[in-house]
Amino acid sequence: MSKRRPYVRSMDGWWKKNPYFIEYMIHESTALFVAAYAFILLVGLVRLGQGEAAWSGWLDALKSPLSLTCHVVFLVAILYHTYTWFKIMPITMPPIIVGGKRVGPEVITGSGLLAALVASLVLLGLVWRLAL
Amino acid sequence: MSENLKIIEIEVLRYHPESDREPHLEVYKVPFTDDMSVLQGAQYIKDNFDGSLTFRWSCRMAICGSCGMMINGIPKLSCETFLRDYHPNRIRIEALAHFPIEKDLVVDLSGFIEKLESIQPYIIPKEPRSLEQGEYLQSPQQFNDYIQFTSCINCTLCYAACPQFGLNPDFIGPAAIALLHRYNMDSRDGAAEERMELVASEEGVFNCSAVGYCSVVCPKHVDPANAVNINKTNAAKDYFLRFLSPKGGSK
Amino acid sequence: MEIFKADVVIVGGGGAGLRAAIAVAESDPSLKIALVSKVYPMRSHTVAAEGGAAGVKKPTDSFEYHFHDTVGGGDWLCEQDVVEYFVRQAPIELTQLEHWGCPWSRTEDGHVNVRAFGGMKIERTWFAADKSGFHILHTLFQTSIKYPSIKRFDEHFCVDLVEEDGRCQGVVAIEMSTGEFSLIEAKSVIIATGGAGRVFRESTLGGIVTGDGMALAYRHGVALRDMEFVQYHPTCMPVTGLLFTEACRGEGGYLVNKDGYRYLQDYGLGPLQDKPKNKYMELGPRDRLSQAFFFEQQKGRTIEHPTLGSVVHLDLRHLGEAYLRERLPLIYEMAETFMGIDPAKEPIPVRPGVHYTMGGIKTDGQCAASLKGLYAIGECSSVGIHGANRLGSNSLTELLVFGKVAGVEAARNAKTAAPGNSANLLKQAQAVEQRVMALKTKSSGTERISVIRKEMAQTMEDGCGIYRVEKTMQATCDKLAELRERFKNINIDDKSSVWNTDWLTAIELDYQLDVAMAMAHSAINRKESRGAHQRLDGFEQRDDVNFLKHSEAYYVAGSAPRIALGDVKITTSQPAARVYGAAGEKADQERKASHV
Repeated sequence: MSKRRPYVRSMDGWWKKNPYFIEYMIHESTALFVAAYAFILLVGLVRLGQGEAAWSGWLDALKSPLSLTCHVVFLVAILYHTYTWFKIMPITMPPIIVGGKRVGPEVITGSGLLAALVASLVLLGLVWRLAL
Repeated sequence: MSENLKIIEIEVLRYHPESDREPHLEVYKVPFTDDMSVLQGAQYIKDNFDGSLTFRWSCRMAICGSCGMMINGIPKLSCETFLRDYHPNRIRIEALAHFPIEKDLVVDLSGFIEKLESIQPYIIPKEPRSLEQGEYLQSPQQFNDYIQFTSCINCTLCYAACPQFGLNPDFIGPAAIALLHRYNMDSRDGAAEERMELVASEEGVFNCSAVGYCSVVCPKHVDPANAVNINKTNAAKDYFLRFLSPKGGSK
Repeated sequence: MEIFKADVVIVGGGGAGLRAAIAVAESDPSLKIALVSKVYPMRSHTVAAEGGAAGVKKPTDSFEYHFHDTVGGGDWLCEQDVVEYFVRQAPIELTQLEHWGCPWSRTEDGHVNVRAFGGMKIERTWFAADKSGFHILHTLFQTSIKYPSIKRFDEHFCVDLVEEDGRCQGVVAIEMSTGEFSLIEAKSVIIATGGAGRVFRESTLGGIVTGDGMALAYRHGVALRDMEFVQYHPTCMPVTGLLFTEACRGEGGYLVNKDGYRYLQDYGLGPLQDKPKNKYMELGPRDRLSQAFFFEQQKGRTIEHPTLGSVVHLDLRHLGEAYLRERLPLIYEMAETFMGIDPAKEPIPVRPGVHYTMGGIKTDGQCAASLKGLYAIGECSSVGIHGANRLGSNSLTELLVFGKVAGVEAARNAKTAAPGNSANLLKQAQAVEQRVMALKTKSSGTERISVIRKEMAQTMEDGCGIYRVEKTMQATCDKLAELRERFKNINIDDKSSVWNTDWLTAIELDYQLDVAMAMAHSAINRKESRGAHQRLDGFEQRDDVNFLKHSEAYYVAGSAPRIALGDVKITTSQPAARVYGAAGEKADQERKASHV
């Protein structure tokens, strides 16, 4: 009779055991904010289709202090999500070879962040000009 | 050397299946020098305090892959982790996470070995070649396509870093998928299609949620997360191309 | 007791064992193969080999050159017919490994590349960066998975052989995870357990290199041949003994003393060369380089490091970081991690450490030992290619070439030999179990395993080091006899069954003591200097009249081994002066001229 008795440790609370896992969970949960904001924009679109009054109501709602506070929170969460998303991007894609040398992860992450920044600025500029 | 002898407290997660109901911590005061690894700390305990302390080790130079442990909660090779970097704090060593503990720091690796065996980790030649014809030729580009993924020493630190493996022990996991990818990417091999079924299976790559910690802890820079995630793309491509061609999409 | 009936059982899952297993499987898929290893095969110490494997590759090279390098390198103690076979098979086996996927480093045009190595006339060392052994081992392990007839007994510890009517008929092993015994019956038994260098103190070797298979065969009456020849690798990390591959010098590294002087030019290896030149300076053979260190130390020209002791410097700085990272990545990382040194900026302190046992289980050219049905391969064996000093990169090739030979021979034998009487073999196995269990269960012992092990390692270093004298060798023989006695009084802390490494370490120590005695007694008996066996007590010269002979150590229970001398097979290379550097080149030309 074998005297083996392998002990299986519990996985309860696994994500609290390592700072890396905590960061991962924050990254994953900030995706909810991205989704939530997409939903808010979608509501705006629906309201726009419902006529001017509905649209204005939605705009007014956006200006409420609660909404402004939410926007700040959303912005922080989405920025964090963007940062961590590009941070893991290098491990998710095939190697990129430029001039016979493999492009390093920091370059990929950096270019991703840069692209996100540029896209955001362009969008902001467009909206700014429309608003004027 | 004796004049710079310092003492470090090593806390070890002990478990003897024949006498312990569950693992418990024991503390040892170990004299050490700056060149001593955590492995040497464990050896010191075994040689001088308690011969029943059990752990795997062999080469002492981070190539045999035996001596992985959780060191202060992080999976590391104990032979290339040094006591001086923890002193004067206490250091805690435990069996690699996510594996069943057999005894003290020894975990059950049989599941991992079965996974290695399951991925057909050998060349299935694209074009057979006789020995008289000499070696296959490989351009530097073809060589670079796979060489990184040959560096895995099967230390299983990546499994101890993978919560998805912890939650689902059937997941083939980082090292085995990296090895699968190594053969798929080798210009001498022609069996990527045969291996695709496993890649896309319930135990396959889609268990991975891109935590990425496996690549962080890998002592040989294999980047298993990269192998897993490239194969997610490959599996998705293969799935959709199946609709277009009866042969499927894998190369 | 579990009983498993195999046709061929292989003890040891390193490079040699795996190559043999594949050879058996390929020669007849119907044969059942049991591969027993005390570690998962990819942990075996083949994994730590760095530099590469020798086999003629370049058009300017020839089998004859490889033959002469090997025989001269071995100080004419090689079996020359075996070397002839070896050099011819070498490139075939290395190509076979390429077909199995081994990632040999390549030239720009896609062919396998070769590098320079010590004592080799032409570049012929196939390499996979500086992780050649690692890649060879993993390639073989992974390839072995292809063959369903190979049943692995991973983490099974072999404790004895069983025999019947003068034939080896299987092995007894402990399953480490349960502590239970198994009898594995087989018509052919191949021992491939590697070397025994851990009987010394400062070595490049892993903890598992404890000479298990050597002791097993030895106790069953098989001779251990040429055990006095223990290779000191000249460039090891002080204290730990970890290896800095010879490829460091093959790629152009220098060895310098405390004055920054490349001292090898004073030891018959000059004149000074800027670029690596085969068989000159740093590319001399290992025994000569380690011996040069000894004399530098005597002359007070080594560097006295405050914590590391006496060292010389391995200087790689002139090779540049990029080149070092490409060709010697493991060395680079080891220097950084273990010593906090950037080899592109600082020289690495090194000194000689025990690396390889040239001797081993005596076999014929077909790897068969004197006990019928028993074969031995790799470092645990003495098939006859290394003589008194192994050339770097011959041993990785050896395990491939002779792994295959042994596999084919064992398969052939298994098809013709009759199986043993199972009841009889089981009875033997039960007796073995009782004996081995008694070691664990007895409670009166007071000696600690680690204490005896340390004393053994110290006395081996004292008496059987790079240079030897009668007095200290005798002291070592006496000390080993004392330790053999004290071993009877050993205490094992762990009395449990599951994963009892305390108990297994004691069994290993038992093996080590036997092997150490074979080494020390073979050494004291060889009254000459040859290859890795160098004496300073009136026997400084090679003595071909009395000692162009193999030493053969035979086990005598409870006493010192009996040492006999055996003949050396000489075919085409008559013993000559063993010279390197400019003198070597001159001798080469003279040899050629006399042949024309």
